[in-house]
Amino acid sequence: MENSEGGSDKITEIYENLRFELRRGSLILAVLAQLRTERYGYTLRKALAEDGLDIDESTLYPLLRRLETQGLLSSQWREEGKRNKRFYQLSDDGRQVLKLLLKEWRAINASLGKIVGEE
Amino acid sequence: MEIIDRYLQAVRFWLPKAQKQDIIAELSEAIDSQIEEQTAQLGHPLTELELQAILLERGNPILVASRYLPQRHLIGPLIFPMYSRVLKMAWIFYFLGWLLAAICIFTFAPSHHPMSLGTLIAETLRTIWLTTVYTFAAVTVFFAIIEQYHLRSHFLEEWDPRKLPPLYDFNRIKRSSSIAEVVALIVVGLWWMAAMSSPAIVNNAQAQITLAPAWGYFFWGFGLLLAGSLVLSAVNLFHPYWTRFRAGVRLVSDALGWALAAWLCKANILADIRLPNLRYQTTTQVAAAINTWAARSLPLVVTLGAIVVAFDAYRITRLKRANSQSLDRS
Repeated sequence: MENSEGGSDKITEIYENLRFELRRGSLILAVLAQLRTERYGYTLRKALAEDGLDIDESTLYPLLRRLETQGLLSSQWREEGKRNKRFYQLSDDGRQVLKLLLKEWRAINASLGKIVGEE
Repeated sequence: MEIIDRYLQAVRFWLPKAQKQDIIAELSEAIDSQIEEQTAQLGHPLTELELQAILLERGNPILVASRYLPQRHLIGPLIFPMYSRVLKMAWIFYFLGWLLAAICIFTFAPSHHPMSLGTLIAETLRTIWLTTVYTFAAVTVFFAIIEQYHLRSHFLEEWDPRKLPPLYDFNRIKRSSSIAEVVALIVVGLWWMAAMSSPAIVNNAQAQITLAPAWGYFFWGFGLLLAGSLVLSAVNLFHPYWTRFRAGVRLVSDALGWALAAWLCKANILADIRLPNLRYQTTTQVAAAINTWAARSLPLVVTLGAIVVAFDAYRITRLKRANSQSLDRS
């Protein structure tokens, strides 16, 4: 028999894990969508935060590298404001994948809307 | 900003070699952007505490590095970089320890010599295999325990930026090392010139020890190397960064020194020992035994020399990459 505090901790842990799973795919979609315009990491993170999607840098930068390795992004180092910065942009493959993912996301959203209803 | 460099150094340590430079450059730029923005917001340069807060928010260097690696799950992904690094280091130290022990046994215990080359190869392969299995098992069990402990306590997430290791530059020569070298070389050099110039290195009423005539070559050879090393250490004291030229001089000097030492092992250098309370036959046997043991220690001397020269060569290759390896935060 768990005490209420133990129970609450367990619920929090389960929620955090599920939230992480839920956000992971959404973050990829958001990053790809933001990078239709060329940006470097720091401004990308700020742009996402301004649109209500916070992502910490230790998650963002490895994600950018993975997406680049998969060929969905291209990057180049360039000097701006006396500092070298790495600018990322959606590649042609990335545009195609984003288009397909957005279609899928809208379909899932529509289905969930019907299933969950107004809450 | 030294603390930022120390943080980047700590992250770099855990990254795979091929990606170190690129990841650190990007991470460095991101931190600079954050510092720039906060400085503009606060209207003053960030204090040490504010810089520490930025690093704390970013997280423990090990965890930051682990997020850049492919997710592997033999040991949990969080501490996998630490695990794989320690595994490699443990294996190398274990293997080198075994190698030196094997050379000592081979040198000083002839009864342990293998019967044939085939037996030697089989024994070596068996040892390497066992070394791998034992190291893998011990390190994996240790890190499995660490992983379980971390899952319960999250101890890696509680860290203090002030305790990051100091900045280490492989190409920098510590002044304290140079001073110690200069002092030691002067002391050894003076003793060498005073006590070792004559083949009769001990000559008094209690004992006479005489070296072979070939000793002259060794005396001047080691003397010149001592003088050369003294000059190099003195230059290093005032120019405390390795250059390719000086690193090359150190490599040649070490190679010649160990080659001379190897030759000395085989030279039957001890010609005669006289002790008033021992018979001539006995002292002759002692001298012969010492020469035999010196000759047997040749593989050990060659191995140690090879390790020293390999390290010197590694220093030169590191210097070639020095520009691309440096944390340029200008």
